[in-house]
Amino acid sequence: MTAAPGAIVIGGGLGGLWATLRIADAGFPVQLFSLFEVKRSHSVCAQGGINAVLDTKGQSDSVRQHIIDTIKGGEYLANQPPIKSMCESAPGLIRTFDRMGVTFSRTPEGLLDQRLFGGVKHKRTCFAGASTGQQLLYGVDQQVRRLESLGQVTKHEWWEFLELIKDADGICHGILAMDLRSLEVRAFRAEVVILATGGFGQIYAPNTTTSTACTGAAASRCYRQGARFANAEFFQFHPTAMIGRDKTRLMSEAARGEGGRIWVPRNPAERRAPKAIPESERFYVLEEFFPSYGNTVARDEASRAIWHVTRQLGLGVRGTDRVYLDLTHLDRHFVSTRLGAILDIYRKFAGVDPLDEPMEIFPAAHYPMGGLWVDFERDDSGGMRAESPRNHATNIPGLYACGECDYAYHGANRLGANSLLSASFSGRVAGESAVCYLKGLGADRATLSPTEVERAIQEQASLNAGLMRSEGPENPFQIHRALGELMTAKVGVVRSNPELEVALEELQTLDTRLDRIRLGDAKAWTNQSLSFARQLRDMIRLATVVTRSALARDECRGAHYKPEFERPLPEGKFPGDPEFEDYRADWQANNARWLKTTIAEQTPEGTSIRFEEVDTSLYQPTNPRDYR
Amino acid sequence: MSRQHRTAASEPEPSAGKAEPDRIHLRIRRQDRPESRPYWQDFAIPYQPDHNVVSALLVLRADPVTIAGERVEPVAWERNCMEEVCGSCAMLVNGVPRPACSALVDSLAQPIALEPLPKFPVVRDLVVDRSRMDRTLAQVKAWIQIDGAWDTHAPAPRTSQAEWAANYLYSRCMSCGCCMAACPQFGPHADFVGPAPLAQVRLMNAHPTGRYDRVDRLHAIMGEGGLSDCGNAQNCVRVCPKAIPLTTAIGELGRQTTLQALRDLLG
Amino acid sequence: MTASIENSHFLLRRLHSLLGLVPVGAFLVFHLWENSQSRFGAAHYNGEVVAFLQGMNYLTVIELLVIALPLAFHAGYGLLILPQMRLEPRRYPYARNWLYGLQRVSGVGILLFLLVHVGTTRIQGLWQPAIRADLYGHMQALLSEPWMLGLYAAGLLLSVFHLANGLATMGIVWGLTASVQAQRIFGYGCLTFGLVLAAIGIQGLLGFLP
Ligand SMILES: Cc1cc2nc3c(=O)[nH]c(=O)nc-3n(C[C@H](O)[C@H](O)[C@H](O)COP(=O)(O)OP(=O)(O)OC[C@H]3O[C@@H](n4cnc5c(N)ncnc54)[C@H](O)[C@@H]3O)c2cc1C
Ligand code: HEM
Ligand code: HEM
Ligand code: SF4
Ligand code: F3S
Ligand code: FES
Repeated sequence: MTAAPGAIVIGGGLGGLWATLRIADAGFPVQLFSLFEVKRSHSVCAQGGINAVLDTKGQSDSVRQHIIDTIKGGEYLANQPPIKSMCESAPGLIRTFDRMGVTFSRTPEGLLDQRLFGGVKHKRTCFAGASTGQQLLYGVDQQVRRLESLGQVTKHEWWEFLELIKDADGICHGILAMDLRSLEVRAFRAEVVILATGGFGQIYAPNTTTSTACTGAAASRCYRQGARFANAEFFQFHPTAMIGRDKTRLMSEAARGEGGRIWVPRNPAERRAPKAIPESERFYVLEEFFPSYGNTVARDEASRAIWHVTRQLGLGVRGTDRVYLDLTHLDRHFVSTRLGAILDIYRKFAGVDPLDEPMEIFPAAHYPMGGLWVDFERDDSGGMRAESPRNHATNIPGLYACGECDYAYHGANRLGANSLLSASFSGRVAGESAVCYLKGLGADRATLSPTEVERAIQEQASLNAGLMRSEGPENPFQIHRALGELMTAKVGVVRSNPELEVALEELQTLDTRLDRIRLGDAKAWTNQSLSFARQLRDMIRLATVVTRSALARDECRGAHYKPEFERPLPEGKFPGDPEFEDYRADWQANNARWLKTTIAEQTPEGTSIRFEEVDTSLYQPTNPRDYR
Repeated sequence: MSRQHRTAASEPEPSAGKAEPDRIHLRIRRQDRPESRPYWQDFAIPYQPDHNVVSALLVLRADPVTIAGERVEPVAWERNCMEEVCGSCAMLVNGVPRPACSALVDSLAQPIALEPLPKFPVVRDLVVDRSRMDRTLAQVKAWIQIDGAWDTHAPAPRTSQAEWAANYLYSRCMSCGCCMAACPQFGPHADFVGPAPLAQVRLMNAHPTGRYDRVDRLHAIMGEGGLSDCGNAQNCVRVCPKAIPLTTAIGELGRQTTLQALRDLLG
Repeated sequence: MTASIENSHFLLRRLHSLLGLVPVGAFLVFHLWENSQSRFGAAHYNGEVVAFLQGMNYLTVIELLVIALPLAFHAGYGLLILPQMRLEPRRYPYARNWLYGLQRVSGVGILLFLLVHVGTTRIQGLWQPAIRADLYGHMQALLSEPWMLGLYAAGLLLSVFHLANGLATMGIVWGLTASVQAQRIFGYGCLTFGLVLAAIGIQGLLGFLP
């Protein structure tokens, strides 16, 4: 089995397609794998926009400010050289996207328009109407199709990545993948493999804003085969997502920004329709908790407040988790013009007009900051060295990761509109690194033993056959539901060690329940239940990594919140005040202990956790986050 | 059903509804393999007012028992975003092609008939193979010819807001294939590329860089299966969930090809 | 640069479209106008209208080149593209969909009508000079049969519809009407044109009745 050196890219979201473009541009053949037509990837869901400092708004925004905002937004947990390079490359990426035909919204003068997004002071977010992610993805998709027509890219849509092929030295040489129609398992050789398989919000299903394919199964499979998983405990919850039976759909923060109020009935037994409840019997949650910010308080604060009110005070609407997000007191015309897109989504999917009835919302799992651990090489300027084969390399030689499935850019919390950027940028970088890696390959490439590969194929095939024959009492879809409920309840917005311990045990139970399922579908053709049941195993493994990592981190940082270890800012005290300086010292001591990347590794005994230094060479953590 | 009632009914305990159905009746056209014969099965799931077709199918797959009480294999169908933006879930819902995730059960007559999206080969049950759309996009060269995906450091060309707004309409196509399914000229019997790829040609031809290779695209749609095969039935524009002005694109391309043909003829 | 010329697909289709209007459509207008003069009686019809035509030099050549060939091409190519249609009028009960279907059905209707019509007039006239000598009388005799009258009425209305609707779609095909609004306005224009033409045609038919 010797083939021309080429690359395999798994995943056709923004990350994967960018990597594909770069490798093909460099003249190496690419085989691109995706669970479905790449255009259906989750990247299409992003509505808000993509950050890049273009400063078309005359606000003297600077790339340095973007870097600092990203670092601080992630509470210093992300390595800084990659962030620097990403922010510096952002304007160029936007220009390239524009050249590819992405319909970015324009200012009246015809320049690229930019808008304000959460957590920053400058208008820095480029957008394409209300469908930025789709526009960006289609832009690269078209380029990939062009390269495909030139024979430089071969697409394998409807193929699922199952496992890596490694040689005796642990070097990755290709993958095993399954044809989702015929269920055939086949080996694909390549000298370098890039994983760009997106996030894993589905471990919280249906309480997540992510697509059904965001199971994280692919990353979990690499983890099982020895790839490190980093910062898994950091999962961003979006405070205002509309509840649905299938998923919770994102409601932009703009709803609160334009005057939307969050409330619940004061009486938990309340059964009246919301508009029939008098003002005096309403509990305006955010306004009471945060008198100075009110409803516009930051994402994570809002999520926690809603969590507290529903899960701890039991005040959710009609005994559920929901709270009202009310726009009905606002001027109809004003709301319609400012929030048209959101109103449409709510009308479309809830069948109710938010101008007539308050919306019902709850915090939903939105974006995992954690992911596969990847390397980088720092250059003299403090950024990431261009064209280094180390950038975005996982610890498995020959395996790279990019996009939402890596951990690199967002630290403990992601800044809004930074992930389309990180997915695109990291895809590009991973593609370039893979090219370096390919160019650096010696002639003495190890040959794989065909029998080993054949054995692996047989193992996978017999796993499939076993599942199809299974006749146990359990149902995989119900186990998935239980997983989502468990993770939402115990590893959600607010965490405590005793609950995390319980969660670990329950995850173990779910895993053993999965051994006794009945698939109910024995057809060896487009067997969706089979593929799902397989992914479920990987989801439970990933959920365990998340929970273990959360258990290990005894502090509050970014999206990871354990009230037991909270260090509140001293009320009314500011830098210079002794109380504040004490707080600062305490905060720094905490950083010395916890400002570390969490690294999870699969060992025969289970998940092992250790911590690794963070590169804070650009911007030292001297000032605690203070939004007062 | 009043709006008040609808909200009240979304609570978990059964509501004291008046004429509210207590179940959702689904009639699903099933097909085991591409070459096998389709057949119908009836299912019922407990009524909830906030169901859409995808969420109903999600409930059904956990316990796929027909109304007659027979346990059958779970129904295969596609979905991903459940926000009407990935285009996966298009199917015939009560005879009309549309994305299933935005088809609210309360707005549909029961039993709700679900069939695979027509015109495309059935893979299994409600899953169809729409790869032909990809091939036709390649056929009409629906891309912008650039040297490579790098930054040329030239600022993005200016585009007026009016022009942007016209282009943006077309860029919202999510390749769901509803327009293709509804087009009487499109199908396995014919070469016609269908309306969606044509609209993309219209979009690419308007792009400041894309303009340079518009002739290539025009020639592509002047060949077999191209623009001429449209018979102006205009079903496409009626069913498109993203309200893409497909027929306007077809008209504009008519003009562009007319002029291009003159240019070609006159040398 | 000449890819569109080397590939005949586009040009053939545009030729079909164009021929539908000129000369075939134009002939129809002229023909119906001509026949509308039936109300002035046999003397005028035979003496002025037919005589003028029959007196033309190179009549046969003109008939062949300007009418028969274009019509044959239009009809032939029309029949060729007809099988592409997969009409689902019940699933998509929109007006434009119906019109699309009717355009094709009417084409076939016209073809059948023409076989009878031209066969019993121009063709039969080739070996029966009496017919050509008194076309008015011949038509009157033909149309006195109720079923023949019905056939003519149908053929006439189908042709008029086909031309008027064909004109409307030509606006899109050639790119004169792109926006929804332009298409709607032009559509109403074509509707008016069709109604007027139908009135002229009916009037001509009625003129042959005793
Ligand atoms: C509702 C929502 C709104 C968002 N809005 C914004 C925003 O406004 N701004 C912003 O910056 N970010 C936003 N994000 C985040 C952003 O969209 C994602 O982080 C980003 O698009 C991820 O891209 P990706 O390429 O990593 O993965 P994805 O787009 O998820 O692609 C994953 C790919 O991997 C493939 N794949 C997965 N598993 C396998 C397997 N086993 N075998 C083969 N292929 C596989 C899939 O087929 C798919 O092609 C939003 C996210 C959500 C949920
Ligand atoms: C109002 C009803 C109509 C009447 C009374 C009528 C009458 C006639 C007559 C008398 C002729 C013979 C001309 C000759 O021999 O020189 C003729 C020929 C012809 N008619 Fe009609 N016609 C009618 C409608 C139509 C329609 C609707 C069409 C469709 C397009 C049509 C197409 C033709 C054609 C193609 C010829 C042969 C022309 C030629 O080669 O000269 N007619 N018609
Ligand atoms: C004899 C049989 C005929 C057949 C089978 C036929 C068929 C067709 C068909 C299928 C079309 C649709 C083309 C398209 O839109 O893609 C068409 C269009 C048209 N036909 Fe005919 N036709 C016939 C006769 C006529 C006649 C007699 C006339 C004139 C009165 C005519 C005039 C037109 C016009 C103007 C169009 C519009 C072309 C366009 O949309 O570009 N046709 N015809
Ligand atoms: S044009 Fe509309 S209907 Fe057609 S594929 Fe695109 S979004 Fe779907
Ligand atoms: S439905 Fe089909 S025939 Fe033309 S106008 Fe639309 S593509
Ligand atoms: S699931 Fe994406 S469009 Fe319906």
